[in-house]
Formats: sequence, C-alpha cells, structure tokens
Amino acid sequence: MGSSIQKAIALILSADRELLNILGTTARVSLSSSVIALLIGVPIGIWLGTCRFHGRGTLVVINRTLMGMPPVVCGLLFYMLFSGIGPFRHLKLLFTVKLMILAQVVLITPIVVGNMETYVSDIAPAMRETSKGLGFGPGKRFLLLLNECVYSIFSVYLLAFARAIAEVGAVSMVGGAIAWKTNVMTTAIMQYTNRGNFTLGIALGLILMSLSLVVNVVMSLMQRRMSR
Amino acid sequence: MKILPLKKTYAGKKVLDLPEIELPEGQITAVIGANGSGKSTLAKLLAGIERPDQKNWKAPEVSVGYMPQKSYAFRMSTARNIAMNGADLERIGRLMKALQLEPLAKQRAKKLSGGETARMALARLLMGSYELLILDETTAAMDMESTLAAEKLVQDYCQETGCAVLLITHSIQQARRLAEHVLFLHGGELVEEGRTEQLLTAPIRDETKQFLEFYGV
Repeated sequence: MGSSIQKAIALILSADRELLNILGTTARVSLSSSVIALLIGVPIGIWLGTCRFHGRGTLVVINRTLMGMPPVVCGLLFYMLFSGIGPFRHLKLLFTVKLMILAQVVLITPIVVGNMETYVSDIAPAMRETSKGLGFGPGKRFLLLLNECVYSIFSVYLLAFARAIAEVGAVSMVGGAIAWKTNVMTTAIMQYTNRGNFTLGIALGLILMSLSLVVNVVMSLMQRRMSR
Repeated sequence: MKILPLKKTYAGKKVLDLPEIELPEGQITAVIGANGSGKSTLAKLLAGIERPDQKNWKAPEVSVGYMPQKSYAFRMSTARNIAMNGADLERIGRLMKALQLEPLAKQRAKKLSGGETARMALARLLMGSYELLILDETTAAMDMESTLAAEKLVQDYCQETGCAVLLITHSIQQARRLAEHVLFLHGGELVEEGRTEQLLTAPIRDETKQFLEFYGV
C-alpha cells in the first residue's frame, strides 16, 4: 500500500503521458458540462425562484426528482438514444467526449436549477417589494437580483463541477472508458483497479481527492463571505 | 389624490373592501387598525406589489415610493444602499446625519440591526422623488430618538415635495404627531375616517371606540 502510494506520487511528478491524457479529458468533460449546466440552470433557477405561476410547484417537484436521478439511469437513457438501435444513431456520438458532456449536462443542470431556485425564492419576495417600492424598473431589479446572487452562482458552479468530476456511471456508459479517447479519472480508476494496476488508480485518486479538497475549501470561503 | 374603490381577497377570504378614498397632497394620512385589518394590503395594492381583484382598477398616475414593513438591505455598504436611489451627495449626507447613519456608512448593510436597517431604508426611500409616499410601520423597529428623527424627515419631505403620505402605524401617538387625517380600518373595511383630533377624541363608530380604548386613548 505504502509503496503503491509512493509510486503514484512519482507518477504524478513525472507527468506521465497517459495520466496527463486522462486529466485533460476529465477537465474537458467536467469544465464544459458544468459551464453549460450553469448557463442553462441559472436563468431557469432565477425564473422559478422569482415568478409565481400556475404549475410552478409541479416544475419544482419535477426538477427535484431529476436532481436525484441516478447517473446510470441517465447513462442508460443516452445509450439507448445514441446506440445502434436508437433514434439518434446516425449522429454517431456514442463513445465520444461530446456525448459524455451532454449526459453530464442533463445530470447537473437540475442541481444548478434547484439550488438557484431555493436561494432566489428565499430572497426574491423581500427584494421585489423593496426595489419595486423604490420605483425601480424590471431591468434594474434584475441586475440587483443578479448582484445578490453572485456568490450563490459561484457556489453552485463549484457544486456542479464537483458533481461532474466525481461522476462515473453516466460517463462510463456513454463514453465507454476508451483509453486515450474517453477515459476520465473516475472510469480510469475503475479500469486500472480491475486490471490490478493500483499505481495509476491511486495517483488519479489522489488528484481527485486534492481537487475535491480545493473545491470544498473555496466553497467554505465563499459561504463565509456570503454570511458576512 | 383619489384612490378608486379597492377589493382584495385571498383564497376566497375578503381582506380588503374599500370605497373611494382621498389622500390630500402635501399632507400625511395615517391608517390605523388592528392586525389583519387590511392596512398592509392597502399599502401593497397602492404600491403595485399586489393586484386588486378588480381587473380594470386604475392606480393613480403618480410616482409611488413604498417602504415595506421589512425592508431589504442589498449586498453593499450602507452608503451605497442609500445612494442607489439618488446621487445627490449633499442630500445623502443630510439624511445620514439626521438618521445617525454616518458611523455605519461603510458597513455592510446586511450586518445592520433591525432598527439600523429601517433607518437606512428610510434614508434610501427619501432620496427619491415621489408624489405618493407609503410608509408601512416604518419606525416599528426604531428607538424613540430615531423615531422622532424619522418623523421629522417625513414631515419635511412631505412639505418640500407636496406629496401625499400614507402612514400605516400601530402608534396612535405617532398618528397624532404627524397626520392631519386618519383612516380606521377594521376587518378589511373603512369603518371611520376624519381629521386626526376629531377621530381620536370623538370617534363615532363602536369599533373605533373599542380600538382606541384598548390603546388607552
């Protein structure tokens, strides 16, 4: 165990090509999917949090259900849609990074929407009363709301990124964990552990845990700043 | 300033049913009544926060300034919160001095206490130009010194701008100090209205008498 960790650290320090390739693919998938989910989810979350309309409650319940969707179910859905028997087979996206990103966007967007909706619906009524009472128009009210949400948006992004980088079920099903092509950190850890190659698995695990630590530290700092 | 008849129901329950009322310009009209009498609903309807039951109801075509019971402090300093409603530095300074906000100018507004937030919110509101000013229990969280300072500012604003002020209050003393007219609401209805001293000293309706007796008037 001890020697495996030493070898893993040496592998990280030697900038192993395969390790770098896995890190690159992971970064591409996680960053792209979390940014896209943020761009889609933040406006929807703000809209759900601020507007009161018939059917809003149903939409919130549907979104909360999607927040808990198991990644393998998402992976299965995409597999069926894009495999040789699926309606989108002609797009030839199965086992590509693009489909991995798409699957993660579907998984992460409800989390962004749900967190934004919760935060915004908490502050929106009082904010609306005050800003409307001052005579501010819809444009200024929206900008003020965005200003109130800045830290929340950042915090939600980190949450989305953490979810994306740690996700394994969907990306392994739609990406196939193909070496040098669609293998990301989580799928590679599984693959190399199954093969008995613990060194690369531990190296990837250490990097993953370090990234998780960084994300959590930044989130704690953000939350401390938000509570000021 | 004429306010057309207003009706509001929540989940089938009538919370407000008012006839046409008149708010004299350049004067303060106090609205008194027990909890649930419809005072805040009236304020929200006039401020456009909520809509009355009548689809074709026309609000007075005037600029309205409204300070809700719980004012929101935006994520910025106290001074910037006030300046967001007008950039006249001299006026900002005067309002901050009058409401003893100067030491809190650079402090994050979200860290202010309830009374400080109310003072900041009043200063912020008075930075604007309005023809109808609606104050919903503005001084409820303030101490006596701040309350008197706030009342003076509202009186000055009313006199300087000639706006109509609708003051919703639980304090009969405050209504007596500030208002020329009083509206007494009970169960969502306008039970009695009149000149302040007349209504407070010689009420006609039983509901008004009971309410005033409870307050020891």
